[in-house]
Amino acid sequence: MTSLELQLRNLSDEIAFPVTPDLAAAAGRIAGARTRPARRRRRTLALAFAVVLAVAAGVLAFSPGARSAFLEFFRLEGATISRVESLPQVEPVALDLGERVSRAEAERRVGFDVLGIDGEEPDAIYVRGSRLVSLLYGPLDEPRLLLSQHHAEVWDGFVKKAAGSGTTIEPVTVSGEPGYFVSGDPHFVMYLEDGLIQDEPASLAGNTLLWNRGELLLRLEADITRDEALELAESVR
Amino acid sequence: MVSRPPTEDELVERACAGDGAAFGALIRDHQEIAFRTAYLITRNAADAEDAAQTALVKAHAALPRFRRGAPVRPWLLAIVANEARNRRRSAGRREALALRAAHEAPPGGAAPSPEGALIAAEERATLLAALDELPDEQRLVLSLRYLLDLSEEETAAALGVRRGTVKSRTARALERLRANLGLAA
Repeated sequence: MTSLELQLRNLSDEIAFPVTPDLAAAAGRIAGARTRPARRRRRTLALAFAVVLAVAAGVLAFSPGARSAFLEFFRLEGATISRVESLPQVEPVALDLGERVSRAEAERRVGFDVLGIDGEEPDAIYVRGSRLVSLLYGPLDEPRLLLSQHHAEVWDGFVKKAAGSGTTIEPVTVSGEPGYFVSGDPHFVMYLEDGLIQDEPASLAGNTLLWNRGELLLRLEADITRDEALELAESVR
Repeated sequence: MVSRPPTEDELVERACAGDGAAFGALIRDHQEIAFRTAYLITRNAADAEDAAQTALVKAHAALPRFRRGAPVRPWLLAIVANEARNRRRSAGRREALALRAAHEAPPGGAAPSPEGALIAAEERATLLAALDELPDEQRLVLSLRYLLDLSEEETAAALGVRRGTVKSRTARALERLRANLGLAA
């Protein structure tokens, strides 16, 4: 090691790094929230949220710099929705749904029957990787509805971040199974895809319904109300 | 009987089975290096914390696919650094690295004379300023290798490049730093 390298190494003890936040405690909370059983009673759900919120509030009180700390977690099979105080600024990107394929080819690649809105044919079907199928209704440059689905038990694919008080996250039930309706301010979707993680703004400007159907996680995105989204979701088959 | 602490593989297995405390324990040993890596990339404490927290969510999601027997640290650093780079592209204010105040000198060192301390402090400040003036790519590789004492493998994981690239980039960065400081090669 040269003299300059030694000086650099010695410098490390002299740097005034910011205090390291307690990431281990955050990790415990994240893991606890993400592994909570998805199919639980509504009352248990409400209590769990209350506990998470109380813990987060306590952490924030001691950590004023943690402006983007996670405030809430909402868990489904195959998805975690987290509420944060502020969203990262990510450059807008074109909608990347993967490769356009036929329904038969999509089903061959993902290994399950692709579901769609009853009585309405999608304008295009896309597969991203070997797990995520998206049905596009309307033109690609101005879609009116997007229905995505993946096998929740083999892929924890969607991690959604919703911003502050401007975004509402409502627990809902679709055909007796759990889901969440996310509406209001823009939110982000982070895809975990074959070990690679990509951030994207929400695919559409509209609201999002996420719900479980058997072993699948479905995501419906459109500029529609909660009741309209639920009606469409009930018609998915 | 003295029980041994769980190995990383055991903690990974337990965390995959839903043990939140095990995931916390897995992160605890690496949290400082992970946060500082994020900080050196974002140069903003709040962005670094945000990046690290988001990385934890992603790391937990990816844990079932973590290769058993492999060290956790480079894997975690790769996820944290990737998230920090995402933040950095859009980050606002960058903070310059600063030296500790004199009274915060790390424990264990022999106390130098006042004059010696002054000269040493000036030399450190000059070196830090020269480091800071390097192009981002070179500043970062030297910071990770020497300020955080990451191995070449860990640095490669954090930067998302091959180990050979770390070697060559480090050599070029040292050469430029030496020139900027007016030192003989």
